[in-house]
Amino acid sequence: MSDALRSLLFSVVLCLVCGTLLTAASSGLKEIQQKNMAIDQRKNILKSVGLVRDDQTYSGEKINQIYEQNIRRLLVDHEGNVIQASSFGTKKEEKSLPIYLYSTKAGVVEAYVIPIDSRGLWGKIHGYLALKNDGATIIGFTIYKHSETPGLGGEIEQNWFQQNFVGKKIIAPGGEFVSISIAKGKADGSAPKDRLTNFVDGISGATLTGQFLTEGLKEILTSYEGVSVAFRNTEEYCRNSKERPWCRK
Amino acid sequence: MKITKSKTYKTFTNPIWGNNPISIQMLGICSSLAVTVQLKTAVVMSLSLAFVVAFSSMIISLIRNHIPRNIRILAELAVIATLVILADEFLRAYFYDISKQLSVFVGLIITNCIVMGRAEAFALSNPPHLAFVDGLGNGAGYGSVLITVAFIRELLGSGKLFGFKVIPESMYAAGYEDTGFMLLAPAAFIIIGLLVWLQKSIVRD
Repeated sequence: MSDALRSLLFSVVLCLVCGTLLTAASSGLKEIQQKNMAIDQRKNILKSVGLVRDDQTYSGEKINQIYEQNIRRLLVDHEGNVIQASSFGTKKEEKSLPIYLYSTKAGVVEAYVIPIDSRGLWGKIHGYLALKNDGATIIGFTIYKHSETPGLGGEIEQNWFQQNFVGKKIIAPGGEFVSISIAKGKADGSAPKDRLTNFVDGISGATLTGQFLTEGLKEILTSYEGVSVAFRNTEEYCRNSKERPWCRK
Repeated sequence: MKITKSKTYKTFTNPIWGNNPISIQMLGICSSLAVTVQLKTAVVMSLSLAFVVAFSSMIISLIRNHIPRNIRILAELAVIATLVILADEFLRAYFYDISKQLSVFVGLIITNCIVMGRAEAFALSNPPHLAFVDGLGNGAGYGSVLITVAFIRELLGSGKLFGFKVIPESMYAAGYEDTGFMLLAPAAFIIIGLLVWLQKSIVRD
């Protein structure tokens, strides 16, 4: 057998063995990995409304338990009217927006959580933005999946960055919608003085990640603006809407 | 023959001290800067690397007489990459939070010079059991430096060990502050430099 043929045969056999092993591991562990990812997403929703703390560890069952007690997922249209899950499949042309409602034991809706999937520098950025029931104040922001550069854009997953969002507003002092922006460098100094509540500190060395995230947040918040308006004018909304998931009963 | 004189024993202990992959051979510095902010990630990273280097050395040693010379490096790489992906999949299934913190660095074990270096320098010319022990030794050598650095960084940087507060509140009340610099990559560089200095001065005496 010639040398070339031997090399070829050897590499084919090696690739077959390695490939089989990898396929087995990947498909064998897939189910448990997906379960982990689902729990991680729920944990991030809970983190955004302040129900779990980052410096504590929770078991998967605990996360599911807290989630089921406090969070309800709804599909709503652009005016904040609930779309029934059953009719969802039939009315595909009507764009539905998923939101997560956080209600206390008494049934008062404290906050609503918007899923974020924004463009980033290298790939999609996935996370959650929690807004208070006044429809304007951010109470939490988390990111659970991204492909930004570790140490630079990757800092978006750090607590210090996410904590910047807490207490910021998506509306200007005049009341009009402006979204939330990531400043270039410190917000104090680069953003207009009267709009500091609409800016968070940026990450040095990750200007582009900040820009993409700003654009992404604006796009998403714009499509959810009707829902936020429904929260801002609860009285009017409760008078007009049939389904009233966040009106006092 | 005493156990300390056997070849197996020497193969295991040599890379831990006398020929440490990080502090003597200066390999694998990149990951030792990145994953040593906390002890937990350092320990998981050390175990992952020890697993990969031990088993890749053993497998390569097992097939060393069959690997054609001209595709030697490719074959080694295929074995190493397979093991790294297996370790990564396992971590994502059973240690999801830690695997998120380690992010790309488990995958980057493939490019860690220690793994390839041991395959080329040792596994190709030694029997499987020695290659396995050599891999374990190198994993332990790498791990010992990683864990020492992580111990210093986590203790001084955030006042914790394995995530538990060890510096009492009364110290903070008295004006003690965590050294934020320890959480940044340059701190690891300085600590590794000091460790190398320490080891070299001990060995010389």
